[in-house]
Formats: sequence, structure tokens, C-alpha cells
Amino acid sequence: MGQEKGYLALVLHAHLPFIKHPEYPDFLEEDWFYEAMVETYIPLLNVFENLTEEGTDFRLTMSLTPPLCNMMEDPLLIERFRRYLNQRVELSEKELNRTRGTEFENVARMYFDKFRRYQDLFENRYHGHVLQGFKKFQDMGKLEIITCCATHGYLPLMVHKESVNAQIKIAATDYRGRFGRNPRGIWLAECAYNPGDDKFLREEGIRFFFTEAHGILHGTPRPKYGIYAPVYCPHTGVAAFARDMESAQQVWSAESGYPGDSRYREFYRDLGYDLDYDYIKPYLHSDGVRRNIGMKYHKITGKVSLNQKQAYQPHEAREVAAEHAGNFMFNRQKQIEYLSTILDRKPLVVSMYDAELYGHWWYEGIDFLEYLFKKIHYDQDEIKLITPSEYLEIYPQNQVVRPSMSSWGDKGYHDVWLNSGNDWIYRHLIKSSERMMELANKFPQADGLLRRALNQLGRELVLMQSSDWAFLMTTGTAKEYSTKRTKDHVKRFNELYEQIQGNRIDEGYVYSLEQRDSIFQHMDYNVYSSAAKEAVLKKY
Amino acid sequence: MEKNLSSGALVRPVHKDANTEADIPAGYGKTESYLLPKDPAWLFLFWEITTGTLDYIKSQYGQDTLQNARTIIRLHDVTDVAFFDGNNSVFHYDMPVIFEARSWYINAPQSGRTYVADLGYLTADGRFILVSRSNTTALPPGRVSDIIDDKWMIVEGDFQKLLKLSGADYIGMGASERLQVLGQRWKLTELTPSGAPSSWSSFALHLDKVQEDEDIWLKADCEIIIYGSASKNAIVSINGQDIELKEGKFSIRQHLPAGSVVDLPIHARNAKGDKTRHISIKALREQGK
Repeated sequence: MGQEKGYLALVLHAHLPFIKHPEYPDFLEEDWFYEAMVETYIPLLNVFENLTEEGTDFRLTMSLTPPLCNMMEDPLLIERFRRYLNQRVELSEKELNRTRGTEFENVARMYFDKFRRYQDLFENRYHGHVLQGFKKFQDMGKLEIITCCATHGYLPLMVHKESVNAQIKIAATDYRGRFGRNPRGIWLAECAYNPGDDKFLREEGIRFFFTEAHGILHGTPRPKYGIYAPVYCPHTGVAAFARDMESAQQVWSAESGYPGDSRYREFYRDLGYDLDYDYIKPYLHSDGVRRNIGMKYHKITGKVSLNQKQAYQPHEAREVAAEHAGNFMFNRQKQIEYLSTILDRKPLVVSMYDAELYGHWWYEGIDFLEYLFKKIHYDQDEIKLITPSEYLEIYPQNQVVRPSMSSWGDKGYHDVWLNSGNDWIYRHLIKSSERMMELANKFPQADGLLRRALNQLGRELVLMQSSDWAFLMTTGTAKEYSTKRTKDHVKRFNELYEQIQGNRIDEGYVYSLEQRDSIFQHMDYNVYSSAAKEAVLKKY
Repeated sequence: MEKNLSSGALVRPVHKDANTEADIPAGYGKTESYLLPKDPAWLFLFWEITTGTLDYIKSQYGQDTLQNARTIIRLHDVTDVAFFDGNNSVFHYDMPVIFEARSWYINAPQSGRTYVADLGYLTADGRFILVSRSNTTALPPGRVSDIIDDKWMIVEGDFQKLLKLSGADYIGMGASERLQVLGQRWKLTELTPSGAPSSWSSFALHLDKVQEDEDIWLKADCEIIIYGSASKNAIVSINGQDIELKEGKFSIRQHLPAGSVVDLPIHARNAKGDKTRHISIKALREQGK
């Protein structure tokens, strides 16, 4: 232990639902992935590269969820992303000429430089495989990559523990295949924890997970350190780390959060709407409808209408990001200093955010992180960045507390994923889960086509269990798509189930689903067997 | 927050799926029920009851008995009950329900307890006839534990300070901002204006704030549930907002604070708009003393 007064664990949760539509040459919702790649994931790698090159040490914990990893390694999506990135480079190059001598010259130059840099990283350093980049920094000990439930399934609403077991086991298998070791930690989808589910984590060698603050505050017995130290779950010894609300608010608060600064980039004013139609058309989707294309030339400015926004100044915005990073660090120093007067050990502050907040939503969030890493490294020694694994090495003794059921959703429990707008899905999710375990128990040693059909059945089940669909139904955005996805997977599941039960499996049908819903090539339907679940429950 | 420019009244172009898959089944032909936790105060129960089951019960108990019986949910508190046999719960309470509703939100009498819900008939002479028993579900406590760990003692004053610092007063707050921002994120590619009023589903969360030092206390609150059904081709609105029909049925719930009146006109119209039906439901909750 050094001279630091306490620790800061920064945790970013990177996730997108599995969206891949080979049946269309051009698909709108796939853009979520391409946008996040160019605005968040590759820019983050770029920060790691820069920091490493200049010798700045840093620590960051990131969940890369299995659906996201599957998309990052999908040949079709890689190819389509390549096209997307090429188009951005091409357009930003044209823009250099168009904006020369105007107030937008600097911002156009910024996009061109960034896109080219990201293209260079993507093509020449990672050869199309960005996971290799993330793995590299994990192997260097700077980045701790954790997994997530297989398809971001919402565990507390799963009645059959076979499904919980499968969500964890499939995720852990996927992780081992990609990163060559056990996942040490997991991000439970939506931080939704159900007491006892830690048994399935322990079985896969997972040593820690994260909860919302009241997951630990409402734990039994009372947590001695509040949320400023992890606790161990009874029987399993899996550690739970809770989210610090103070640092969360600094970024998320609508009134006082950093991202609302008037000098930052305005999200809603986009070139897709601003430029001449004929000029922008080649960069729109094939239907030719104007949409956001991710290049924005204006700053938030203030409470003015979109057409009164002023030109974005990249240099100015970066300075603000540096200022905010300094403020964030200062607040953590004060927080840790005060906490250390109450605690009899060095406090740990866990700051957790959605990764896509940085870069995609809060454009300068990437710069903010880079400055924060630098400032913490060079400017002070009161707080030290740490990963959960490192913390547990320093403090292997922790209080045993049974965390409370909780989530980080609105109101702190399951309301977002279970309300009158989406509760109809559980009839189907739970029935499918029951049918899946029924068949897994019935056919313990299937092979050939039956095995393929059963494995695909498992894929349809996990895909329908993505918490994203219920979430989108609640927010009202992409409601049509999320409803359709839920229904499609239920339909495909039922059709396959009937075929298997009727001993009339249609190979063509199985093949078409394997191509389309191609997540988890390693799927083994046996993870749904009741014996597998019982074995885990008995063990702990 | 600015309104997203990209969501306008545009026709969604790419989802006109040639092989659009047909709708999913309304049920699976099996009598069963499932109980899910929602928050410290609420449970969600959904069920399917087949005509076969109902016919069998009729044949066993006689048409007359059932006609004079009420259909109910009997919620059992089975905390620490190793094997629940239908009669050995800590306590139970009944609430009327219509089987056709197929799902119900249940306000649990106490947080932090474990529950089973039985669906069945309560006969005129007080007998309970079981139709379906749910799984067991535990609710979170929703408050700080009273149990203190001898090995990890802390001075009470320091613990209270820590609680405050840990954000105990803000549980679940701030998340709505996150919800909004993340919801917006998905909106980028979304062109279809959303229909359902999400505010219908919101209601106050009853965090248990029990004053341990008081001898006796009482809390009560009220929500109303309005439910119904309409013909498949009908467009139904409540209080001027169109709502979504699920298999021809709808239900909404709304908090009813003390001293308030809820007036909810329900309208149904056909696609052309030349035929309408109308029902008005009013509820008054008097100011409690």
C-alpha cells in the first residue's frame, strides 16, 4: 500500500443488444453499433494507446457484454462498419473544402483527423478486430475486462434458475474463448441482483459484481463501510461493489451535470439535416431519408433553438473537458479525505457509467477521461485508480453481507422492466425458458440435426431475454423494433420447439436461423439442464 | 431537453418485412400462474386458466357452488415456511379478481417477505377451491437492516453519516435522468412516434420508513385499476390518450392520493371514426383524518 488516502474504481459498462440483419443490405438499427464503434469504443482505445505511448499509467474496469463482443467479431458487421467508416472519412474530407475560410473550418478538420486516426487504428493496428485492442490493454494490466449476462438478461425476473445459470455460463464460456482466461468480474445486466444468484457466478470462477448503492445499504447485516468497501455474499464469498451516487450525479444530473456545458457539442444539430440534400444523400441510408449521420458542427450554446446554435470550437471544448476532469478529481479527493475520517480503512469510491455515455452522448466525455487519467497520474497522490481485483488483493478480508435485491433502474427495482407497457412479455419468456429446460432434460445427449436445433433453440431464448427490449418498450423509443424482436424470437422458438417435439426438424429452417440469429457459435443447450442447476445450488 | 428532430411523422422504410412473422400465441394451453417481484411493495401475477380446468372444477364442486363463489387471489406470506401445503402460511389475505384479466399487480402487505399467490374460488360458505398456485417470490426489504454484525461494529452516529454519504436519501433517484438520456440515444434511428403513455405505469414507490420507536403506526395508500376489453378493431382512449390493447384487453392503474378525484372517460372508436362507445369512471378519495 502506498501513501494514497483512498481508491477510485472507474467502471464503464459497454453494451448493445445483438442486432444483425443479413436479410437486408442496409438496416437502420445496425447503426447503433457503428455509431458506438466510431464515437465510443475506438476513441477509448485511442485514449489507451495515447496514454500508454506517453507512459501514463491508468486503471479502468470495463464490461464488454457478450452480444457486443459477438458483434465486434461478426464478419458481416465488420464489413459493414468498414463501409460506414470509409464514408465518414470521405465525407469529412469533402467537408475540408466546403468549410475552408468559414467558422466551421476547425470542426471539419477535427472530424477528418479523428476519422482518419480511427480508421488507421481499426485497419492497421487491430486489423478489423477491436477486441484485440481491448485484450492487449487487459494483458498489460491496465484494463480489467469483465463479462455480463449472456444477452443482458434481467436475472431477478427469471423464475427458472436454469435460465439464470445459462445466462452466466454462456457468458463465461464466451469470455474465455475471447480473452483466454476466466472472467474475474461480471456486470449483472442493469445491476439487477437477486440474492442467491451469486452461486452461479462463483461456479464460473467470477469473484465480483456490481450493485446499485442500496443493494449493499439494504443488505443484511448492516454494512459497516456503507458503500465504500465491497462485501462478500454469504456461502459463496463473491464480492459485491456498490455504486457511488455522488460521482454518478456529477455526470448524470440534468441540471448540474458536466455534459450540459454550453461549450460542448450539441447532440441534436446534425449535418444529416443541415447539408444540401444531393450532397448528403450518398451518406444517408438507401431510403434517402434525412437522419443524424454523427457529424455535428454546433455547440450547445444555451437555451436557444437549434437554428441559433453557434459554431463548435474543438479547442475550447477540450479545455472545458480538462476543467471538468480537474473538478471531478478535486471532488473525489475531498470525498475520500472526508470518508477516511470515518472509516478505519482506505475508502473505495466506485464510479459506474454506461460506456456509450462517453463519446456518443457526451462527445467530450472521451477527452474528459483522458484528462482525468493524466491528472490522477501526474498531479496528485491522494487518490489512486484501482480495479476491483486489485482492491481484493489489498483487502482480502471483507464483511459478509447478503445484498438486497435491487437494480440501477428508475426507482431502484424492476419497474422499468416490468410495468403495464411490457409485462406481457414475461408470459412468453418464462414459458420458453420452461420449454427449453424440458427439452434439455429430455435429450441429454443429442447429436446431429437435433443438436443443432436444440442449440438454436437456446440462441432464440437468450435473444428474447435481452433486457433491452423491455427497456425500449418502457422508454417508448424503438418500441416497434423491440416489440418485433421479442415476438420474432418467441415465434422462432415456438416453431423450433414444435418441430423438435414432433420429430420433424426442417434443416432449412434451422440453417436460416443459424445464419440470422448467429450469436454464440459455442452454444451448448445442455447448460439448460436441471441437473446442471441443481449441482450448483447444492454446492454452495 | 430538446426534442429530437429525427423523429417525425415519417414512414418507417426498412421494416416492411416480406416474411413478417405472425403474432405470438395468447396462451400455451396450460393452467399455471407465475408471481414476479416488482419492488418492495408490489408483485406481479400472471396466469392462464384453461376451460378444461374450469370444467373439471365445475364437475367436482357443482355449477351452483361456483356460481355463488367469488374468484379471488389469496396471497400467502410463506416467509421461513419450508414446505408450503396451502394451509401453513404465516398469514394470508384475499383480493377479488376476474380470471379473464390474466394478470394482476398485487400490493404486498409487507416488504422483505416471501409470497405465494393462489388463484381460486371462495365459496359462499367460506371454502377455498384452488385453481392455480404460483411459484414462490421474495421481496426486497426496501430499508436498512436492523441486524448488526458483532464482528463489524460501527458507532451508530458514524453509520448514519455513512448512510447519508452513500446516498441513502437518493435511492432510485437520478435514474430517471439516465433513463431519459439512454432512451433518447435509441431514438436516433427511430422514426415512428411512440403511442403509449408511459406515465400510466408510474406510481409512487412505498419505501418502508418505519419508526421503530413508536408504539403503533398505520399507513395506507390507494391506487385504482381500471380494466376492460374492447372489440379487436376498436381504438380505445382513456382521458384522451390512446392506449394499447393486449389481446383485446386493457388495464391501467393510477395512484389516488387522499382528497383527489379521478375522472377517466373511456372512449372506443372504429378506424373510420364514425362509431364510438363511451364509459366514464369516476372515483373520489376523501381526505383522511
